[in-house]
Amino acid sequence: MTDSKQASAFKEQSPLRAKISSLLSNQSVVLLITLVVLGTFFQWGSDGIFLQTGLLGTVLDEWGSYILLAVGQLFVVITGGIDLSVGSTVSLSSVVAGWFVVQQLKVGPEVTGADALPYVLLIAGICLVVGLLVGLLNAFLINKLKIVPFIATLATMGASNGIAVMISVGMPLQGPNDWELGAPWNIGGIELPISTMVFCAMFITTIVGLFLHKSRFGLYTYSLGSNAFATRGAGISVEKHITKVYMLSGGLAGLAGAYSYVRLGAGSNTSGMGMELYAIAAVVIGGASLMGGVGRIVGIALGTLVLFVVQSGLLTMTVVQVSPDLKQVIVAILIAAAVAVQTLQNKNGRK
Amino acid sequence: MSGEVVYEIKNASKRYGSVIALDGASLKIHAGEVVGLVGDNGAGKSTLVKVLSGAHQPDGGQMFLDGKEVRWDSPRQALESGVETLYQDSGLAPHLTVSQNVFLGREITVGGILGKLGFLNKKKMNHDAHRDLEAVGIAVPASSRAVSQLSGGQRQAVAIGRAVAWAKKVIILDEPTNHLGARQANEVLNIIRNAKAKGLGVIFISHTLPHVLEVTDRIVVLRLGRIVKDAPTSEFTGDTLIGTITGTIQTIKVEGD
Amino acid sequence: MKRSTRVLAVTAAAALALTGVATAATPATAAKKIKIAFVMGAVNDPFFNAMKVGAVAEAKAQGVDLLWKGDAQYSAATQLPIVKNVIATLGKGDGLVLIPTDGAALQASNDQAAAKGIVVANVDTQVGNLSKVLIQITGNNEDGGAKAAAAIAKAVGYKAGSTYEVVIGLTSATATTNVARLEGFKAAVASTYPGLKVVDTAYSESNSQKAATNVDTWLTKYPNLKGIFAIDGTNASGAAAALQSKGLVGKIALVGYDAYPANVDLIKKGVFTALIAQDPAAEARLAVKTIVANIKKGTKPAKKNVTIANVALTSSSSAADIAKYTYKTK
Repeated sequence: MTDSKQASAFKEQSPLRAKISSLLSNQSVVLLITLVVLGTFFQWGSDGIFLQTGLLGTVLDEWGSYILLAVGQLFVVITGGIDLSVGSTVSLSSVVAGWFVVQQLKVGPEVTGADALPYVLLIAGICLVVGLLVGLLNAFLINKLKIVPFIATLATMGASNGIAVMISVGMPLQGPNDWELGAPWNIGGIELPISTMVFCAMFITTIVGLFLHKSRFGLYTYSLGSNAFATRGAGISVEKHITKVYMLSGGLAGLAGAYSYVRLGAGSNTSGMGMELYAIAAVVIGGASLMGGVGRIVGIALGTLVLFVVQSGLLTMTVVQVSPDLKQVIVAILIAAAVAVQTLQNKNGRK
Repeated sequence: MSGEVVYEIKNASKRYGSVIALDGASLKIHAGEVVGLVGDNGAGKSTLVKVLSGAHQPDGGQMFLDGKEVRWDSPRQALESGVETLYQDSGLAPHLTVSQNVFLGREITVGGILGKLGFLNKKKMNHDAHRDLEAVGIAVPASSRAVSQLSGGQRQAVAIGRAVAWAKKVIILDEPTNHLGARQANEVLNIIRNAKAKGLGVIFISHTLPHVLEVTDRIVVLRLGRIVKDAPTSEFTGDTLIGTITGTIQTIKVEGD
Repeated sequence: MKRSTRVLAVTAAAALALTGVATAATPATAAKKIKIAFVMGAVNDPFFNAMKVGAVAEAKAQGVDLLWKGDAQYSAATQLPIVKNVIATLGKGDGLVLIPTDGAALQASNDQAAAKGIVVANVDTQVGNLSKVLIQITGNNEDGGAKAAAAIAKAVGYKAGSTYEVVIGLTSATATTNVARLEGFKAAVASTYPGLKVVDTAYSESNSQKAATNVDTWLTKYPNLKGIFAIDGTNASGAAAALQSKGLVGKIALVGYDAYPANVDLIKKGVFTALIAQDPAAEARLAVKTIVANIKKGTKPAKKNVTIANVALTSSSSAADIAKYTYKTK
């Protein structure tokens, strides 16, 4: 039995049909087609304003505030876990950073532009540390107290929200900010729908994605979600890896907190409200399986984009005005449909 | 045909709460020898496997690898010392490729800084996995293929091939022929013979007694946490083996108290 | 579940009415210090924090003990046990200021307190049947909505016959204060400013980033946008951030709600055209004062339902007004 003989047994279909069917079973291709369809539809539905730089910039802005959460969530979901604490980590980290700069260093929103940059970097650092600590706490609850991830991260979600409200007294802490970081890039007089903040989010996503697909860290993440027993049997410390994955998710949520700070010019206890659900939805739409072992970074980047193209597109519609209530229903249906499609794909794809 | 004693466990005991799972078990495995480990459910087989593989620590007793006393704090230590274990039904991660499974825990990284960061050399892993599996008598399709796309027999072949390829001294196979068809089971038995020819000590745990009788050199029977019989395979017939396992045939202890 | 609690509450109220228990208003003896429990909506909500400042000050002035109680969440499920616990610790001649998180669910406890001889006031919201309540005090959210419409009209230089595109940032379909403010706004538009055209509404889902995104989208979708009504604190913060990041401060009239200190600062910077402020401290002071007067002298308020008007803070508001209405944290 040689390699080629054995492999040929898997190619029973005609090459063209096989190619098409394998393309359609690729989540990223499906999502790209979806994006083109949605873009065309909303372009028509908005009387031709949807695909202009300003609105694309807004879509990418929102994409940026969710993508880091979605990427962190992807790692957790691949291991077969779930992290409900990411939204409240956004709130908590931005509030702690705002509290430190505004109330301890006594630097307020009057500091803007380049003068504010060092503070923004400090804020990003604080946010990252807060996020890592929340992740560490999640890992502790899961590894040491043997609490299932859903409950463990639900507990830290509640605690983080509570602490964020206590520190902020429920009000945004406005501090120094360089609004230019969120402004669209202007290259040679042409405005691009991308800002420094969005670029940073893309950059981090790319780097983390490379680690997921090319490195040992990513391999262990998949193997853990695929077969924890075999992973342990291969001599890998499952607990250590769980800790790393939840700290990654927390750290990225912290950075998303810094992103929210720059967007709002304030640390706000409502900046992460409900974001965990969109992050989980984005991961599912992007093709990850909540059962673990499956999911790709490109899929998640596109899935997040689809989610917010729909939201933004519905808000932009002029042909029919979509009421905010209907908008929520449509988004809910979209998420349910994505999960259903995925379940069907899995049924057909395996066995 | 058997060589030196490569792995030895002396007077090992293990209890879980009030349950005595292992009661003074002693066992020797020689290089190039296949030892069958049999017994009814609850006889202590899986406990013994866990102790031998480093997954659990015994409460009492000693273990020797190549004559030197060892103590495993984790399966990783046992692996690194050359004791490879294939657990029942759980050898592989289905979402990973064949080569990723073969190299799981022992990945080959690229050179330079990226290598230090853990970036993998997928090409080399694919190539080496194919070569190593072939060397132990397993031909599988492209090693970049996901394990979930393989048949049950192919999966088991990869899992055993992985263990045999990595084992330096001892290989422990827990029910490797479970759920396999006759032809596939035969392939697995051939791989075991390959491992034996490589000079490995093989511990073969199975409920399928014909397989045990066919491939082993010696059979160890466990009952209620004790080793009740340890004798060359040639001394057993199918009937006497069943009788020994169930206890209808009285046994005398071969290993001293 | 909601229906069953309502049925329960109605039954309890009916039972009390049948036995003829009256609201106790017996003057207390000077020997015992009056205790007033204040069971509010949500700990650390800026609105209730500002209310606490007023309650504490008035209790001190009146020489009574104040018990400030509440849960982290605005929810009847968590408020009910707190109310029951408080009622157990109070007795005849004490007072209870209740902010019912659910008018139906809290009715039974409200009436049970009154039956025990505790003088009860409702603030901000109210139970369905006010017969056992001494006084009910609320901020006027409809009026606040109308004031917002007036503030936008003023900022855009409203002239009859012209149209001005306006958008409204909401939190959700179920936030009751949102609904009242929106109705007030729309009523004022219909009666006085028909030229203000509400072209769009969207939900922030209680997330300030989402509020900012909504405004960002509108800024592109409606190039002729003249005004934004951000209906609560979350929407106000999000809208302010959107205008600041797009460099549109002062070009579009932004009227927000809730006088968070940081947002009040943004009035001076021109980000907010106006902030509609409630006066939770005044609501609390009036409630405490009325209860104490009733316990000590048996006096009843002239009006059972008192509405404290909202006010529009602008850059031309007096420093005293700004200081008075800005939500205090201490």
